[in-house]
Amino acid sequence: MEHPWEKKFPVNAKDYKLYEDIGEGVSATVYRALCVPLNEIVAIKVLDLEKCNNDLDGIRQEVQTMNLISHPNLLKSLCSFTNGHNLWVVMPYMAGGSCMHIMKSAYPEGFDEPVIATLLYEVLKALAYLHENGHIHRDVKAGNILVDLNGAVRLADFGVSACMFDTGDRRRSRNTFVGTPCWMAPEVMQQLHGYDFKADVWSFGITALELAHGHAPFSKYPPIKVLLMTLQNAPPGLDYERDRRFSKSFKELVGTCLVKDPKKRPTSEKLMKHHFFKQARAVNYLARAILDGLSPLGDRFRTLKAKEAALLGQNKALYEDKEQQSQVRDFTLVIKKYSVMH
Amino acid sequence: MKGLFKSKSRTPADVVRQTRDLLISADRSPDPRDTKREEKMAELCRNIREMKSVLYGSSEAEPVPEACAQLTQEFFRENTLRLLISCLPKLNLEARKDATQVVANLQRQQVNSRLIASDYLEANFDLLDILVVGYDNTDMALHYGSMLRECIRHQSVARYVLESEHMKKFFDYIQLPNFDIAADAAATFKELLTRHKSTVAEFLNKNYDWFFADYNSKLLESSNYITRRQAIKLLGDILLDRSNSAVMIRYVSSIGNLRILMNLLRESSKSIQMEAFHVFKLFVANQNKPSDIVGVLVTNRSKLLRLFADFKTDKEDEQFEADKAQVVKEIAALEPQER
Repeated sequence: MEHPWEKKFPVNAKDYKLYEDIGEGVSATVYRALCVPLNEIVAIKVLDLEKCNNDLDGIRQEVQTMNLISHPNLLKSLCSFTNGHNLWVVMPYMAGGSCMHIMKSAYPEGFDEPVIATLLYEVLKALAYLHENGHIHRDVKAGNILVDLNGAVRLADFGVSACMFDTGDRRRSRNTFVGTPCWMAPEVMQQLHGYDFKADVWSFGITALELAHGHAPFSKYPPIKVLLMTLQNAPPGLDYERDRRFSKSFKELVGTCLVKDPKKRPTSEKLMKHHFFKQARAVNYLARAILDGLSPLGDRFRTLKAKEAALLGQNKALYEDKEQQSQVRDFTLVIKKYSVMH
Repeated sequence: MKGLFKSKSRTPADVVRQTRDLLISADRSPDPRDTKREEKMAELCRNIREMKSVLYGSSEAEPVPEACAQLTQEFFRENTLRLLISCLPKLNLEARKDATQVVANLQRQQVNSRLIASDYLEANFDLLDILVVGYDNTDMALHYGSMLRECIRHQSVARYVLESEHMKKFFDYIQLPNFDIAADAAATFKELLTRHKSTVAEFLNKNYDWFFADYNSKLLESSNYITRRQAIKLLGDILLDRSNSAVMIRYVSSIGNLRILMNLLRESSKSIQMEAFHVFKLFVANQNKPSDIVGVLVTNRSKLLRLFADFKTDKEDEQFEADKAQVVKEIAALEPQER
């Protein structure tokens, strides 16, 4: 039952022409590119394997997961191959870019509720599929929600996704520290009992707030502070003055995801039936509502990069990613000890 | 109508039996008069998923050991595994993934404290041949590859694959252009050569000549960066394993091998250099260096010492620094030998 019409993408760098960069990570850059023999625009993630010291196995699993998923709301890889010491992962090109980039360029205060409902519903379908198949995404956030020009929504970046079925054992929980602090569930931070699918549901709730405000809660604080606030404060919600524009059902949805006890959070499948999603519309609505009038992705990305570079110049210490990461690591050790003692 | 009344009354063994019947009918060449074919395929996929949820549990329920044992026993009582492997290409992607996870899980299920999967495979070794050459088929490679990796957890099965004619094919599979498949083959190859210590040692002793000739020329001297990088890392793992010490002594006494390692030391890739060092140090540490090896080391002494002078790890690594100091000391003290 292979689809005979499914195109075979060539596995040779010579068959692709790289254009401008449209995304950037620690060891990878994403380019818009042309697949010459098929005359099709694609996105290619170029990952420098020389910078990934010992984690070839993790990379293999990520690429295999991306290859073996088949869901309209997940970004799959079309093929992958090495070119010198780089790994090229060819993916469908999502011309709208990520929701985070769209917000930064045009909606700094966040989206309207029908847009949020539509986006989140599409993401939830992807999460329910992943969870049903034993995967935890581990990095749900607006930056990983990609939109195409027709409004199609795909959840991307399995950089840190893990498979619960990997080794034939159903490992209920994982014990690795991954994800971005602002979106991270308390049980992931504590690393005491491991965590499961429910960690994605927390991140999903944080993402809902991010789409509503234009940024994640606590995003202006350094990671250390974020960890502390997540663990010690009441869960964030939609209860400020500015949130009065949002409906009761939206507030309830956020409240039900952002419960500190993972057992009390609903599964992604159950969440799909939440009445908030009655507002979700067909995805072509997104094309009209948020993509109209945006400049091309490459230009937007360049502008944002320039802005960030300027900020970086102003306040270098705060934006030193590497340093923050190591601070986070040190700090989780402290938390671990702290939690053991109490 | 049968479908309507299922699940409640069906035991795990029933699910396996029904799966087997559906597999048998799927395995036959398509009969154009069979109007229910599609329906049956859908039913088959549902059954495979049900086996998976018995074995793995669901988001609501943990797996029940008795149910797992019952399912496993019925599965291996007849040729279900053979049918499943041969029908796999006919299933859709989700069912293939489910089937792969079922097969993976079954390798660990014990019935009366025996791994009956191992017994079954020992009587059906030819299935392993199908799984290995699965790497030739782009669409099936990841499924068959992942099943294979689970099967070689059994020592007898790993021994069969190591000694089979197909072992040679891994040298090509590792370099397939699709990264995901090549990397999968590399992971299986590594598992074969590291998991069962005594079997690996026996295999390497018996097959030393062709194995390391191919290993050197096809992998360590490959034009492909990732092949070289994985191969040098694995070589280090193999040679530094105590159970392979006889093989290690033999390997580090060959001047041809030394030349290859010295070339890898000069690579621009830091990670390859680093892994190459861990093998190179064995040549130097060898207390009974053949005179030709001493000769090469002496001839290249100044170059080597210069290389090691600015040879550093990114992070501090005491063990590495100690090894390096030792290697430098040994090389500096070498005297050309007269024979």
